[in-house]
Amino acid sequence: MPQSLFDKIWEAHVVEELPGGNALVFVDRIVAHEITTPAGALEIQRNFGDVLFDPKRIVAIYDHVSPAKDTETAIQGKILRDWAKRHGIAMHDIGQNGICHVVAPERGYVEPGMSLACGDSHTCTLGAFGAFALGIGTTAQAGAMLAGCLILQRPKVMKITLEGRLAHGATAKDLALYVIAQIGFKGATNHVIEYGGSTIESLSMDERMTLCNMAIESGATTGLCPPDETTFSYLRGRERQPTGEAFERNVARWRTLRADSGATYASEIVLDVSGLRPIVTWGTNPGESAPLDGTVPADASAASLEYMGLTRGTPLRSLGLDQAFIGSCTNSRLSDLRAAADVLRGRKVTIPTIVTPGSQAVKRAAEREGLHDVFQDAGALWTHSSCGPCLGMSMGVIAPGARCISSTNRNFPGRMGAGGRVHLASPAVVAASAVLGHIAGPEELAPVGAAEASVR
Amino acid sequence: MKLAGYVLPIDRADIDTDQIIPAHLLTGVETTGLGEHLFKGMPGGRELLEGAHPQADVIVARENFGCGSSREHAAWSLRDRGFRAVIAPSFARIFHENAYNNGVAPIVVAAEHIDGLLGAERLHIDLIDETIATPDGGTIHFTLDPLRKQFLLEGGYMEFMAKRIPRVRGWLAAKAS
Repeated sequence: MPQSLFDKIWEAHVVEELPGGNALVFVDRIVAHEITTPAGALEIQRNFGDVLFDPKRIVAIYDHVSPAKDTETAIQGKILRDWAKRHGIAMHDIGQNGICHVVAPERGYVEPGMSLACGDSHTCTLGAFGAFALGIGTTAQAGAMLAGCLILQRPKVMKITLEGRLAHGATAKDLALYVIAQIGFKGATNHVIEYGGSTIESLSMDERMTLCNMAIESGATTGLCPPDETTFSYLRGRERQPTGEAFERNVARWRTLRADSGATYASEIVLDVSGLRPIVTWGTNPGESAPLDGTVPADASAASLEYMGLTRGTPLRSLGLDQAFIGSCTNSRLSDLRAAADVLRGRKVTIPTIVTPGSQAVKRAAEREGLHDVFQDAGALWTHSSCGPCLGMSMGVIAPGARCISSTNRNFPGRMGAGGRVHLASPAVVAASAVLGHIAGPEELAPVGAAEASVR
Repeated sequence: MKLAGYVLPIDRADIDTDQIIPAHLLTGVETTGLGEHLFKGMPGGRELLEGAHPQADVIVARENFGCGSSREHAAWSLRDRGFRAVIAPSFARIFHENAYNNGVAPIVVAAEHIDGLLGAERLHIDLIDETIATPDGGTIHFTLDPLRKQFLLEGGYMEFMAKRIPRVRGWLAAKAS
């Protein structure tokens, strides 16, 4: 029977069928960070002899609150660090770290066909590599650290075929928001989204990661992109990947990781995205969005409108802003920073603007290109890497009622601070909005140097 | 196992885990004592809990309960505050698993029942029989995952996994050969 890509990966990892349609599923890689790992590590230490199934399969990344902001978060970091050291687990500590979903791929910890789990819902980002990468709770992660496996119900598979090349101004972020708007904020719950089509083939790995990052925002277990030459060339030479013939042997194996023709899916959707334009959220979940050129929709929910301080029919471009943020596991990779810098080069921001690279490696690469100068010359704050303001946990928290445009993935009530209002958009739209102080696209900006020219 | 069944109705859909417990309160390393933080991220959450029956142990809400972040702290804070079940038409996957692992029953019922359940002060819920007796004399049957039901009622997820280690090692060895 013809199989989907997901079917093949799933069946290669099922150790045992369990009652109730559950399966014991082997986990090739566990990514551990300081917020959700310590409780599980302590559980194993206290009750299971501090023995891990295979420390070599685990990577620890100091992630969310880096560096620690207080005693409690310092303890989280210390537990992660001590545990990693005790077990010989690879650890990317303060200075060589960043957001785990950015660090794991850039160091080559993820590869096609593998199963990967992390106590973090945005682990689906790594499905971009053709891996079954999913977010789990602390107990499930502890179980995987102890016994190498998860207990899972087999997800259904939703095939989403995207056709057409993205037009100028449209980005992978707009694609992600568009897909969520089409299938709904919970439309893919208990499904894996298997992406395909010419659009996916044309996307870089950074863009595929942005798309897959937001699979969870439609409820999906993960997103999955078929691995191809783009995937292989991204991985070639990465720190944790083998070199030479060993790598090429893996590539030969990865090339066979394709859906069979005639594979059947629980549902199939085909979208032509060649006419896609920038999208911005207006509501309190990532499915509540509209085109940047549009208005708050007529059927907007009353609760979302009240929280966001909006009325139906209001043009999104008219909304004044209090803060802008470029960063997070959705949009903090080098290509995202370049896109923002292209907008900010030679211009000034008019609202507090925070730019947070996704990893220290991204930061160094951006600085080698002078992007830090572009951001700081524009008057933005250029920070070290971390999750930053995205989840209101460590820095850049917004005040009640404050409106922030953000390149992140969640506009939930209170996400960036109690009572704060978040509008999700691409890095280019966030950057343009930061200059104009209201929601805006780059095409609204006066040409650089135009003001000086008119004075002369 | 029967619950006291006092209901805290929350007539909202898409209650995400940031609302259940916001990220700035995830700085601990223990799974207990988080009840005081429950619903601190929810608009009106504090008033909601203040108005709850002192013995409330069941939440009734609308679809997609527990969406968003994987933080198990959401289930820990519900349990610590005394909640033993959430009734909703659907749950987000990760919360659904986390609830089972922490003694909080994720009870899925058809959306058509929710209006009635939101209006009930007290429900008779039997987790073993998988039934809800409603105030109007009706009975709603629900289905729990038969494997996870064991973890829900007795705990033991980690012990179950520990017993699987030899089998997993054998599977891995067979795969490598």
